[in-house]
Amino acid sequence: MREVSVKVNGRVRKRMIKDNELLLDFLRERLEVRSVKAACWRGECGLCTVLLDGHLVKSCLVLAVEADGREVKTVEGITVDGELTPIQKAFVTHGAAQCGFCTPAWVLATHELLKANPHPTDADLVEATAGLVCRCGTYNQIREAVAEVSEGSKPHRQPKESLVRA
Amino acid sequence: MSFGSPYTTLPDFEYHKPANLEEVLALLKQYGDEAKLMGGGVGLIAFMKERLMSPAHVIDVKEVGELRQVSRVPGRGLSIGAAVTLSELLEGGVLKKDYAVLHEALARVADPMIRRRATLAGNLCEAIPWVDSPPALIALDATVEIAGPDGRRNVPVGSFIRGPVDIDLGPSEIVTAVAIPEAKGTDSAFEKFTGGSEFSLASVAVVVAGGGKSTGAKVVYGAVNSTPIRSAEVEEAIKNGITPGSVRKAADIASERVECVDDVLATAAYRKHLLKVITTKVLRRLMSK
Repeated sequence: MREVSVKVNGRVRKRMIKDNELLLDFLRERLEVRSVKAACWRGECGLCTVLLDGHLVKSCLVLAVEADGREVKTVEGITVDGELTPIQKAFVTHGAAQCGFCTPAWVLATHELLKANPHPTDADLVEATAGLVCRCGTYNQIREAVAEVSEGSKPHRQPKESLVRA
Repeated sequence: MSFGSPYTTLPDFEYHKPANLEEVLALLKQYGDEAKLMGGGVGLIAFMKERLMSPAHVIDVKEVGELRQVSRVPGRGLSIGAAVTLSELLEGGVLKKDYAVLHEALARVADPMIRRRATLAGNLCEAIPWVDSPPALIALDATVEIAGPDGRRNVPVGSFIRGPVDIDLGPSEIVTAVAIPEAKGTDSAFEKFTGGSEFSLASVAVVVAGGGKSTGAKVVYGAVNSTPIRSAEVEEAIKNGITPGSVRKAADIASERVECVDDVLATAAYRKHLLKVITTKVLRRLMSK
């Protein structure tokens, strides 16, 4: 066991951990940050995605000890003063969550995409979220949500045929 | 506290984070084959979950300064430190102009979050038949730079990969860098077919003399057999130029002559079909360059 100190969503958290512990387990089990989902455990579904020092990573492929002295942000950490971010509001407006299990990861990834690239194309969105899966298939709604934020407050309209093509 | 079912936890190990290469070598000397090196950890953590590897010691080298360098020496080429991530190589654009084949191969590895962690040296050392960097590196004549208790040595990528998950690296050795010779003036390209999975079912890396010339072509296929295969016959087919006729001929030869295997991902017959498709695609792209 060793003590690590990780800044999680702005708060420094110290815990005793084992060397073989995953960052995913550290966040979910030791800190009870349950927006980080455990699903495939092998880096395929992306639902355990978090920001580690500002970069999106899959926390099932990161050791907890690697995060010692670093900063982790999850979806809880992107709101400002409890106010939903534009992409979170757009997810609600467009019904971009069905069962909601993958939603935290998608919100985090699209939030980061829009921060780096305020007007992403469909191809940019597909590339940026290539590591994420939504088994309910809300991809079109997520795309509409991203498009709405990209275009400002104007609701997004797309020709029908582009909605059926991924 | 419950940490989930089998395949979600890692075997017990002691974690080490050496500050420099000297410390890495000392740890390797001390623990030998009880230790595994970790770069991005993408492969190692997956292997440990499956219990394909259960090292007693994990040596994390991702912040070792000597392994974090990318340097370009005119006339000698490019040296990529073992702890440099795929994202760093892609975002820096250092490969784009002269090493397009490698840039294209790395740009399509897994997804951006994995590429943020994965390293080129790690991708190479996995030596899983369907990883994408080896064919591109072989086509570029790259060598692997290795440090160990007996000093340093260099090995061409083609002989570094001895078989599936089998590399020419001793238990106390470490890959320090991948070196790629100057490739100014060449044209190159990479193609793969994944069929929607994240693994290549067939891939091809091509480097030609450039400026419309196709002399000295190197054509290397990946993911169709246990190790990458360079095809002298396909190279021969395009040596007088990449034309619609020679592309057709090269694609037929690739499909007929390059040896393919059946495995869990695809049948040999399907791979042979894919060889024709990707050979045509990659050469057509070079033809229009």
